Amino acid sequence: MAMEKIARNIPVSLWNEASEKLTDAILNSPNAGKMPSDLAKTILYYWQRDQLATEVGLQRLLEASMILDPEKTISLMEELGLPEIVAMLKEIQH
Amino acid sequence: MVEFGIEFVPRDLYWKTTFYAVQAEKMGFDYLWITDHFNNRNVYISLAIVSAYTERIKFGPGVTNPYLAHPVVTAQAVVTLNEIAPSRVVCGLGVGDKTTLQMVNIEQSKPLATIRESVRVIREIASGGTLEMQGEIYKVSGAKLNFKVNSSIPIFIGAQGPKMLALAAEIGDGVLINASHPKDIENAMKFIREGADKAGKKLEDLSVSAYTSFSVASNYEKAFKAVVPVAAYIVAGSPEMILEQHRISVEVASKIREAIVHAQWKEAFSLVDNNMVEAFSICGTPEICIEKINKLLTAGVSQIVAGSPIGPNMRKSINIIAAEVFPHFKK
Repeated sequence: MAMEKIARNIPVSLWNEASEKLTDAILNSPNAGKMPSDLAKTILYYWQRDQLATEVGLQRLLEASMILDPEKTISLMEELGLPEIVAMLKEIQH
Repeated sequence: MVEFGIEFVPRDLYWKTTFYAVQAEKMGFDYLWITDHFNNRNVYISLAIVSAYTERIKFGPGVTNPYLAHPVVTAQAVVTLNEIAPSRVVCGLGVGDKTTLQMVNIEQSKPLATIRESVRVIREIASGGTLEMQGEIYKVSGAKLNFKVNSSIPIFIGAQGPKMLALAAEIGDGVLINASHPKDIENAMKFIREGADKAGKKLEDLSVSAYTSFSVASNYEKAFKAVVPVAAYIVAGSPEMILEQHRISVEVASKIREAIVHAQWKEAFSLVDNNMVEAFSICGTPEICIEKINKLLTAGVSQIVAGSPIGPNMRKSINIIAAEVFPHFKK
């Protein structure tokens, strides 16, 4: 529920960039082995349908990225200039 | 028209391999090959999940070997995959990787007879027939699948040596030439023509692929660095004759082999030079790769398989191939 709210707050104009950055972070994460299989399959489902750069797609990517590497996820959102998202992610991190 | 294949090694997590497979399909690759080594993730399970997330790309083991998996088991596996993804399954077959087979004390004995008979077993079983066979290698008495099949699954044979290349062309639907250098492809084509002639086939009816080690990046140094470990293994495993053809010092190759055996990776990789990379891979910027692909096509292949490592960053390299290499060869 929290991640759904966070994803909803990413501006549509940044969906593509956010999805690209999160996808790269997930694929290249040294903690990729921590990815829950169900979540991986959901991401593949959205990837197959070109829906990673959508609200639901971003929600799943954020969820995965926070599991694999929370610090990196937060810094990616900082790079995108999304302080509100950064604050929300830090809140759920603690 | 030229076709492009891509090879994945299921050493990676299943969802990463599947992610890249979906990407490869979206980007226009025609074939997807997954390697088969017992010490990586299982090839058929990897292919099954790939099949569930893709719709068009043709795929298969690249390559499986009859020493570890009896050809009736291979036939069963590819037929089952073909049920999930009709008309998209191909079967890559070869003698396997010597080092991996040695780990389980399996010798690559009678390779030509083994491949010839395996192809017969796979074809007969996969087409739903009952197989009676008293071969030199396989004795089969009334083997048949207990479910209805009627598949014609193309068999591609991985080959490097003259006799295997000729056999592959004679009995296979396709040949996967394990080489990346135009000179090696030119040599291979002589034997492929010989095999095709023997079977009364036209060369155009045969899919002939250069199964290359491939590394592309916008920056040459990055592409080079990514391909070095693969080149080191190829140099270490190459017979003297092949090394000499490419003016690679047998002594240096032996040092690389020794270093690999002792897990001295830094030492092994530091001995790899430009000449070795040139001989055993397609490596560099998109422009360099395009030039080399052109030479391979001129030498006679109809499919280019981009094999491991693909590039320093798999996702980016697949995108580079699609955006900068494909437009030169595909509409």
